[in-house]
Amino acid sequence: MSAKSSVDKSSVTTSSLDNFSVGPAAAGSATDLAPEPVVRRGAAERTDFLLSRGARALVRSLRRPGLRRPVISLLVVIAVWELVGRFVITNHLFFVPFSDVCRALARLAATGELQRHVAASLAAIAYGMGLACVAGVAFGILLGASRTASDYSEFFLNALYATPLIALAPLLILWFGIGLMSKVAVVFLISIFPILISTTSGVRNVDLYFLDVARAFGASRPQIVAKVLIPAALPFVLTGIRLAIGRAIAGVVVGEMFGARAGLGYLIYTSSQTFDVASLFAGVLCLAVIGVSLTSLLQGLEGRLVRWKPPVLED
Amino acid sequence: MHRIVPFAGSTAKLSVQGVCKRFSRRSPDLPVLSDLSFEVHAGEFFVIVGPSGCGKTTLLRIIQGLERPSAGTILLSGSPLAGAGPDRGFVFQHDSLFPWRSALRNVAFGVELRSATRADAERSARAIISLVGLAGFEDHLPCELSAGMRQRVNIARALAVDPDVLLMDEPFAALDALTREGMQQELLRIAEATRKTVVFVTHQIDEAVLLADRIAVLSARPARLMRTIEVDLPRPRSLAAKRSARFQALMEEVWTLIAASHSVDGRQAS
Repeated sequence: MSAKSSVDKSSVTTSSLDNFSVGPAAAGSATDLAPEPVVRRGAAERTDFLLSRGARALVRSLRRPGLRRPVISLLVVIAVWELVGRFVITNHLFFVPFSDVCRALARLAATGELQRHVAASLAAIAYGMGLACVAGVAFGILLGASRTASDYSEFFLNALYATPLIALAPLLILWFGIGLMSKVAVVFLISIFPILISTTSGVRNVDLYFLDVARAFGASRPQIVAKVLIPAALPFVLTGIRLAIGRAIAGVVVGEMFGARAGLGYLIYTSSQTFDVASLFAGVLCLAVIGVSLTSLLQGLEGRLVRWKPPVLED
Repeated sequence: MHRIVPFAGSTAKLSVQGVCKRFSRRSPDLPVLSDLSFEVHAGEFFVIVGPSGCGKTTLLRIIQGLERPSAGTILLSGSPLAGAGPDRGFVFQHDSLFPWRSALRNVAFGVELRSATRADAERSARAIISLVGLAGFEDHLPCELSAGMRQRVNIARALAVDPDVLLMDEPFAALDALTREGMQQELLRIAEATRKTVVFVTHQIDEAVLLADRIAVLSARPARLMRTIEVDLPRPRSLAAKRSARFQALMEEVWTLIAASHSVDGRQAS
């Protein structure tokens, strides 16, 4: 391949050609271009030569519309934000350009303050959601499998799911004090219900044939739960957890606004008290990044674990 | 109880004695099964054939222990059965594979339940997978297999627990005609290789004659045993047996019995 190219290619050195023929896509493009005029091929190769391999991979991925469009929209939004901040809303008590927010982020990161706030919020989310997942899945299975348990608790669960439990945050802070515990409690309380309810409906939706099969092979009740109910309900459980992420982030912010000495909610609150709008936006931006990352992490997990079935519940 | 005595010393692997079944809530007067008794010998391929909806599946589910008979007893190797157990393997009519388990792990399911380690279960499953001709497809998910292959996994799952009796509930009913013939051929090979005692339910007469050592013909609902017919076609058999004159004669015999059951049933009801 590289030998053939070097025969009819004189302007590029051998070492660059070797480098050029490493990636399969690069090799393919050289083959495609082979019958075309020499001038055109030379130009294409010079461009490729100038770009590093990483940049070329980026350009290649941007050729795919599925990746290009979100990047374009992001760049447009940032540009509009910047222009509005510079020329439309010039009072920095209300709005700041994107570049100011970046500067605030850099300043906060340099002092280590940003890392402290992010770590505090992530810890509250991790502990709160971890507990909510364990408790939500366990109770969800119980309620899905036992008619009696669900008859006794159905009404309260629906009532609690519909109530904005965030309203209880001040009470929880009274109970658990200012600090990690109260934030964990708020996150737990607010994120358990989507997990619990979707796990319950997942267990209730298990195909009766699967239970028949398990019984025919003499499975005990614990075996039915472990080998049939849980794997069959898994897509529902993961969807429930994905829905809970947004609520958990809202919960941690509210908890931190009412009673905390660290965390992104605390950063946002104190920044607003000092009219430091750039730092306020920096905090919000971090929350957005956390939310998007956690959600896409979970979507990746769903794709991996439930290859056998598309996600069922969407609301 | 007096019924048990004459069978006590017999060599029957599976003995169904006076089994009745009525679903009291829906139709208290009309039983599904009425006083069914028959015996299946060790290593025998026993086919139960009857018109659709006559209660064949119910009978099989009772033998498996998925349902309780309203009256009667079932003995396996001379001892009465209570509940489901791994001494019987059940091949379901519907595609009942666990979609989240690979072919291999589906086959291993029954073995896993008996406190074997996962590695042990998969080792014995691997042997059965190649017996049903699915070597190389161990790691495929059910959604990646064809309908015929899924039914092979279904059969392998039942065989993997090494049951005394293999119960098969119209396992090929949902397959297209060509795949069904291929699977019949495969089942002949597997049954002759493993020498398993098989109870096979179908409403297809040609399938019954091709596979069976003995055919039990049931009447329309309520199902009664009309007659058992010995199938004296030589073994090992293949699909070619279908072209023999003896095959045609046996099919005719079964068909006549089933047709008669409809008219007899009509007269009894009045």
